[in-house]
Amino acid sequence: MTIEPTAVIHDIGYRHYDGVRLGRGRATLALGVQSLRGVFGLGRTIRAKIMPLLLAAIMLMPTVVSIGVMALAKQFVMPYSQYAVFMQAVIAVFLAAQAPYLVAPDLRFRVLPLYLSRPLTVTDYVVAKLAALTVALFCLMAIPITIEFVGEMLIDMPMPLHTGDFLGALGGTVLRAVLLAALGVALASFTPRRGLGVAVVIAFYMFTAAVSGLFYAVLASTGRDDVAPWALLLNPFFLVDAVQSSLFGTEPATGEGYPPGVASCLILLAVIALAVTGVLLRYRKAAS
Amino acid sequence: MNTVVADITYRAMLGRKRIWLLVLLPVALVAIALLLRLLNGQSEQTAVTLMKTFAIGTMLPLLGLIGGTGVIAPEIEDGTIIHLLSKPISRPVIAVTKFVVAASLIAVFAAVSTFAAAYLLTGMESGVATGFTFGALFGGVAYAAVFLLLGVLTRHAVAIGVIYALVWEGVVGGYVPGARKFSIQQWAQSLADHLSSSAFFSTEVTLGFAVPAMAIVTVGAVLWTGQRLRSLSLTGDD
Repeated sequence: MTIEPTAVIHDIGYRHYDGVRLGRGRATLALGVQSLRGVFGLGRTIRAKIMPLLLAAIMLMPTVVSIGVMALAKQFVMPYSQYAVFMQAVIAVFLAAQAPYLVAPDLRFRVLPLYLSRPLTVTDYVVAKLAALTVALFCLMAIPITIEFVGEMLIDMPMPLHTGDFLGALGGTVLRAVLLAALGVALASFTPRRGLGVAVVIAFYMFTAAVSGLFYAVLASTGRDDVAPWALLLNPFFLVDAVQSSLFGTEPATGEGYPPGVASCLILLAVIALAVTGVLLRYRKAAS
Repeated sequence: MNTVVADITYRAMLGRKRIWLLVLLPVALVAIALLLRLLNGQSEQTAVTLMKTFAIGTMLPLLGLIGGTGVIAPEIEDGTIIHLLSKPISRPVIAVTKFVVAASLIAVFAAVSTFAAAYLLTGMESGVATGFTFGALFGGVAYAAVFLLLGVLTRHAVAIGVIYALVWEGVVGGYVPGARKFSIQQWAQSLADHLSSSAFFSTEVTLGFAVPAMAIVTVGAVLWTGQRLRSLSLTGDD
């Protein structure tokens, strides 16, 4: 007499997967690409597309105006290196509206363990999300100035091309995208609620911008010109502008000087490192 | 006005992480005022700059955003608003209750911190402290009503509110003078200007326009919120 086995996993006839298993790298890439599409609302509902595409369209408006002025009045009005500082409110709204989308739903519906049951690690997940937001912000900021540059080449202005300014602006755009993505994800990942995440990110931007402008004005008006420029660095956009002007030699957007370039670079690196570390620690905790 | 609904809303607002945002911004305002006082001593010009750019220009819209959308938007997002709407309470009453909660929270946090900060920098000199306190109080109430309405109109209430506060009031208002007439910040400032006699402070919108505009916007937004709640549809987003 045979003993009946008590617990058996029955093979109920599902087909097995015999194909190539692509591993961690491809899983990270897939998550990154899917997140990047989601930032612009691709693959989501119409309502999710309105906000990012509207903001991307607003970002293009100074380009259109500037190409028009170049074509009609033969004047160069919008330096490439100052585009992002000029449009900083729109970029901040884009960051605030889209950064929580990347992280909040996964936290809210507690699906992180599902990702982590695959070859993907916590670090891969964070890297994919940060990279997706970085690329999205880079596209948002680089496409308008690239179109403007192409316009300047085609219009054939009496003065030489501003190639150095354009390349410097592209370099600065990379740094700005990395900084903003790290800050945005770090702030948004603290709350599983999307609405609150948007409020936190925008509050951070408005707070730093207002405080930096205020202290700059007060310090400059009381004659402390040596410390006043340090106050500007509180605003993330001016921080990157300071690094951009010291690394790539572009004109400072404020018309005033910045503190020594080395200090700005170190602050930028420290802020990025701090934000990324914060995200990693947050997800270590969320995953366990 | 329904006290039970108000009680639940107060608890939801004050017992969550949201309260940190409500507390942090006013604390930051007072801290900055203290720092400026230590750096510069008492200065009326500094006080006016701080009030205009930070208290009215930054803190008030943010508090309005957090408070105004916070009383209703999370419930709509979660779908728990159904439990509230299925009770035999008229929808306009719910709207008014939510508005009273949001307005009272914003008024308390904004007005108290504004008064404290202005008092630190100027004392009671030339009415700067009282002027801006009343400006923050009524401006905060108007913001609460507008953002409450946005909260029931759209899922993207916070993003749209931010665009209004940052792009319309900040950027467009800076370049297009006509846009300043339709800005709650400017209405709050003209109220503050009327009550203070400071030489460092002048506004463009007249009081005769600002006060009726503020009243119409506040009442209109609350009434519309009530109407909108009568036929709220809960559809999935994303």
